[in-house]
Amino acid sequence: MSGSSNFSFMDRYDKRVGRLAGQAERYVYTDPESCLFKLRLMVETMAKTLIELQSPHLVDSDLSTMLRALERSQMLSRSHADQMHAIRRDGNSAVHGDPTPAPTAMRRLHDAHRLSGWYCRTVKRGAKVDLEAFTPPPRAGQSDPTKGEGWKKGEALEKTIEEQRRQTREALLLFNEDENVDEVGEALVKELTSWDEIAIAAGEPLIDAEFVALVMAMDIEKLLEHPRFGVPSKEAHAQAEAQFDAVRNELEAKEFAYRDQRRKLAEGDLID
Amino acid sequence: MSDEAMKTEIKLATTWFLAARTMAVADGNVPKVKEAAAGLYARAILELSEQVCVEAKQKHNIGDLRVEDCLASVRTLPRELGEKIMTGVMMIAYANREMHPLEVRWASMLASAIELSEEDFQRCCVGARVIATMLNPSSEESA
Repeated sequence: MSGSSNFSFMDRYDKRVGRLAGQAERYVYTDPESCLFKLRLMVETMAKTLIELQSPHLVDSDLSTMLRALERSQMLSRSHADQMHAIRRDGNSAVHGDPTPAPTAMRRLHDAHRLSGWYCRTVKRGAKVDLEAFTPPPRAGQSDPTKGEGWKKGEALEKTIEEQRRQTREALLLFNEDENVDEVGEALVKELTSWDEIAIAAGEPLIDAEFVALVMAMDIEKLLEHPRFGVPSKEAHAQAEAQFDAVRNELEAKEFAYRDQRRKLAEGDLID
Repeated sequence: MSDEAMKTEIKLATTWFLAARTMAVADGNVPKVKEAAAGLYARAILELSEQVCVEAKQKHNIGDLRVEDCLASVRTLPRELGEKIMTGVMMIAYANREMHPLEVRWASMLASAIELSEEDFQRCCVGARVIATMLNPSSEESA
């Protein structure tokens, strides 16, 4: 048993994760850094289990790579990813010796509790997990520290930091959290496809597509050769050339199809 | 900032995010690296505030806009801003070091709407390439 009030249900799903959560819970007042360290380990253990289901080749990657891969595969929602990243970030700070206020540790513990219900449902598909409301663990022999003035100040600071982080993240993202990215993307692609057809039928705009494709191919070759990506020159050239040929062939095929359609229409008119 | 200045900034941000979204989805998927790059570009190069970036993506600002609206909007921008948008859009196109026919079409349409010459367009692409080398390749593996 993990021996904790908030996480004891986890023993039925993942004993190791439940034990880490229980340990974090016990340290939250007396040693917030250790609490965050345990929570970070808990999140890393969760991520490893999930990544084994999704992308086993990434199981030895660092935590942020695993979380990004889980997000991309849509196994991890944005809000769950945010909670996991918050634990990772604060856990890293704690490991590097940054002093951690107990309200910060308590917030991350609360995040871990939110994550744990979802995690259990994910690893044991179909499991009915009754997640009870999170209750701050009692502090033995002392009055409730969460009622103190210092705690309230710490909480207020945490709220401000989280609000700031949320705004920064919202500002940086390409799509809003409440937008259906697939739906928006589909509509844009559909419209772009129509414009593509218009360009073929009505003639190219000022900067024609073949010129753009050529410039892009040259840039892609240089990018691939860049030390950051390290593709050997010959291979980079071949890759860029293949991409250029593919785009040019598609442009030509569309042009041919349009001309063919026009010819058939004209022939039809002549027959009539 | 006055209401009028705020409106102008929001219009620029909306135009940018619409142009960037169109390029980001043109190849059929939106890797994280493209998504984060768009926001960073808005903040660092277009010098848009967080508040403006958030507001621009609200439904009442961007929700009903189409590719056509983006083209109409870039035509009204000062030349310098138009070139910055072109550079940013190409940076997104280069994020995965691959090109797709619809990406090519979008770049061609946008460059024409801004009335760039071939030299101007190439200059924007060089800038985009330089920024694209700074994007984190490890955050885009597709496995």
